[in-house]
Amino acid sequence: MANDSSDFARSMAIATSGLRAQAGRMRVISENIANADSTAQTIGGDPYRRKVPTFSSALDRTLDAQVVTLGRIKPDQSNFRVKYEPNNPVADAAGNVKYPNVNSVVEMTDMRDAQRSYEANLNIISATRRMIQRTLDILKS
Amino acid sequence: MSINDLPVLSALRTKMQWHQERQRVLSENVSNSDTPKFRPRDLVEPKLDRSGAVTGSMGPLALTRTSGSHMTPSGAASGFDQNKNAGFEPRPAGNAVNLEEEMMKAASNQMDYAAATSLYSKSLHLLKTAIGKA
Repeated sequence: MANDSSDFARSMAIATSGLRAQAGRMRVISENIANADSTAQTIGGDPYRRKVPTFSSALDRTLDAQVVTLGRIKPDQSNFRVKYEPNNPVADAAGNVKYPNVNSVVEMTDMRDAQRSYEANLNIISATRRMIQRTLDILKS
Repeated sequence: MSINDLPVLSALRTKMQWHQERQRVLSENVSNSDTPKFRPRDLVEPKLDRSGAVTGSMGPLALTRTSGSHMTPSGAASGFDQNKNAGFEPRPAGNAVNLEEEMMKAASNQMDYAAATSLYSKSLHLLKTAIGKA
């Protein structure tokens, strides 16, 4: 249990957990975007499957507060995109090639959302720092 | 009577502690802005009486007994404001955090805290003047 004097430190630690979770989300999004056009290695095989980050709220006992953690990264079970490319080396017998189920528009909106949440957490950290500064200013007066 | 027992200083100190705690609650809301089924929380405003003691709905509250035959309640009511009639609809995942609203609250919390600390240092300055040290 944190003592009273470190309440501001707790606020900062909670916001930091938010930063960490959003950074993890950005990593998953960048993985999806990077693999948007990768195909399977074998003929007729499955390509990269889109990953979806999940968040969960957990009680941090040392902080005595609800922090956020990046939970399991789950695969998106939607269908792959199929293109007719008979000349592609990994095309199946019918001449179709499977492409990942990544939609770059969805990834972009997710990215904006992650960015916005990240900035909000940063904002909380700077607000808390200004409050700490005000407390220290009492000593100076 | 020590300096810390002065009503104005203790009232300001209570207010500063409240803002400190509120910052923690707001920080929780913002960091959980993508957690499914998370509901944002806020603290209830403290009510101070003339001596600076907290009289309102802050701190551990006793439950009210509505009948003499009821057992004496031991639990304390929550000091959180669940904020039922503000903000937007929860998103499909059940998360009801509205980042703009939380940012506004954080900004006003910070400004109120700044006001309280200014008043605190002014009061200390006044005391210094009174004892002829300023």
